[in-house]
Amino acid sequence: MTLTMFTLNAFYGLALAMNMFIIASGLNLIFGVLRVINFAHGMFYMFGAYITFTVAKSWGAPFFVGVLAAAAALGLIAFAIERLLLRHLYDREHLMQLLFTFALVLLMSDAAKMIWGTDQYSVGYPPGLGGAINLGFVVLPQYQLFLCAIGPLIAVAMWLLVDRTRWGRVVRAATQDREMLAALGVNVPMVYAAVFTIGSALAGVGGALAAPRIALVPGMDATIINECFIIVIIGGLGNLWGSFLGALAFGFVVQFGTVLAPNWQDVLPYLLMLVVLLIRPWGLLGRPETN
Amino acid sequence: MKYSVMLAAVGILGAGTAVAQQPIKIGVLYPLTGGGAVYGVPALAGHQLAIEELNAKGGIMGRKVESIERDDKLNPASASSTMKELITKDKVDIVLGGLSSAVGLAMSEVSKQEKVVYIATIPKTIQMTTDKLHKYVFRTASNTDFEGDTMAMLAGKNKLSKICHLELDYAYGNDLEVGILKALPKHAPNAKIVLTLKPKLGATDFNPFIPQVMAAGCDGVLSGLWGPHFVSWVKQAAPLGFFNKIKWISGGEIGSHEIAGELKGEYPDNVISNAYELWYAGNDPSHKEFQARLAKKLNTQETPQWAALGYIGVMYAAAAMEKAKSTDPDKVSAALEGLTIGTPVGKLTIDAKTHQANIGQFWGPMVKKPDRAYRMMEPAEYIQPK
Repeated sequence: MTLTMFTLNAFYGLALAMNMFIIASGLNLIFGVLRVINFAHGMFYMFGAYITFTVAKSWGAPFFVGVLAAAAALGLIAFAIERLLLRHLYDREHLMQLLFTFALVLLMSDAAKMIWGTDQYSVGYPPGLGGAINLGFVVLPQYQLFLCAIGPLIAVAMWLLVDRTRWGRVVRAATQDREMLAALGVNVPMVYAAVFTIGSALAGVGGALAAPRIALVPGMDATIINECFIIVIIGGLGNLWGSFLGALAFGFVVQFGTVLAPNWQDVLPYLLMLVVLLIRPWGLLGRPETN
Repeated sequence: MKYSVMLAAVGILGAGTAVAQQPIKIGVLYPLTGGGAVYGVPALAGHQLAIEELNAKGGIMGRKVESIERDDKLNPASASSTMKELITKDKVDIVLGGLSSAVGLAMSEVSKQEKVVYIATIPKTIQMTTDKLHKYVFRTASNTDFEGDTMAMLAGKNKLSKICHLELDYAYGNDLEVGILKALPKHAPNAKIVLTLKPKLGATDFNPFIPQVMAAGCDGVLSGLWGPHFVSWVKQAAPLGFFNKIKWISGGEIGSHEIAGELKGEYPDNVISNAYELWYAGNDPSHKEFQARLAKKLNTQETPQWAALGYIGVMYAAAAMEKAKSTDPDKVSAALEGLTIGTPVGKLTIDAKTHQANIGQFWGPMVKKPDRAYRMMEPAEYIQPK
């Protein structure tokens, strides 16, 4: 592999990782606080992409208005779902929650079919990000560079929010002992609702940002949810920087692995998860469960 | 005792009158949800249009036609069990449809076991009409051998010397590769394949492959990337100037209006591809009228190509039953062998030996039009097997 090829592959791996991190971090946040495994997260991602299509292409608004619209819409949808339905299930067994989020997948996929039909859609690159930058020995596409910048920004923003604000302290406390927190006068149900809203809005943003570089088709939710789970699991469930690391590992393994061993492209992410789980069953930055 | 005899008598009488008026049941499977719905839904629209027209004309052999429609979910196992249910529970007289080659093979297997005629309207894998051919399976779609042969011919015509070959790693892609490799020495003896890459079915990220193709220095790509695969490739490769120098000769119907109309200004230069049907061009006088009826049904002038395939499948089922004067699978199968009918894409004949219809496709370069927001195939040449 020449230096040019190596740089290109490393760069593409990074761009993929950052796009995946934005989506997976929302799933991870929700699991960390609510302890709910949200199967509908991939569907939220797909809705984010489709909403961006409607706003940016059908209505002709600027692309980034579409991204904000996707975040807002998914936040609203998630808030309604949490307040009306999900909150009744926190004290039920995990199986009920799984069935519920799985039912959401089916309902939302039918809703998507009613709203957008079954056509294939595409969203154009935002102006100024549709070209490439020539660095002499390698040519890098601008949009992927943009993804490489926005991923760490979101990671730092989430870290500041959860680790450096009073509200973040409340959120962290909710993961430890929510009865105690409620006894101290904190409105725990609203904390849960806010976390579910933010986590789902991140899926919407992830879908919106993915939209210009892929075809939008029904079913695009299916693979993404598996990949998000892989990232969250190898990073350590509930750990923000774990998900960041998990996304990097995923991006590089998929990019370099597919180049070097194309016949293994289907199983590469799963192999990565298997290896990590064999060495550290609680994930890269997770902590072993102590009860 | 008396009561049960009476009941039985009523039952027999009832059955007698029911047979006379019972509709002919046509079972059909297309992917109607998930990734395949992009094609399955319009194919089903064409299917329904044909059924409506049949019934308006008095049905088949004077009997009404009932269409029983199911989702195959693009999944062979699911298609197989749904088709069995159609046969045993709904008692359909014939089964049409399928989209993916893997689903087509699974449906063909059920048709063989249950001895019910299956007309494959979209699956292209050559295996269905060669190694896995049996009495009850027929195909009105093109196949990977013919598509491969045409692509090789176009490689020769465009004087490609160094070829990069891209196929999706599943039944369709692998069989299309075989079809191309078989025909290349004949049509393009000077062409050499310098690189073969096989992304997985359903891939959305082509960044591991794009730099390899750009570094290989080929003057043309032969590609089997269809639908969303092609769109994602374009999105990721175009910013690098990928399409400036490389000729992209592609199967998989990316010349269809569904793709051109969606990509609009993002549709790249230098693409030569195919389509079963184009709303703006025809090879048969009957096409114009068919397209107008379809446009009315779908409420858009720019109709999708897949509808024609669903439509032709029903036309063949009806013609075979009329010819056999029966819905008996053995008689219908015999009637289909060598059967010629007129369709919106011209006269078609099903070969008696291979059970393959000689359907062709439109091929041509995708060019910009000053008065349109999207590209069109021009000139669109209808290439049909001899």
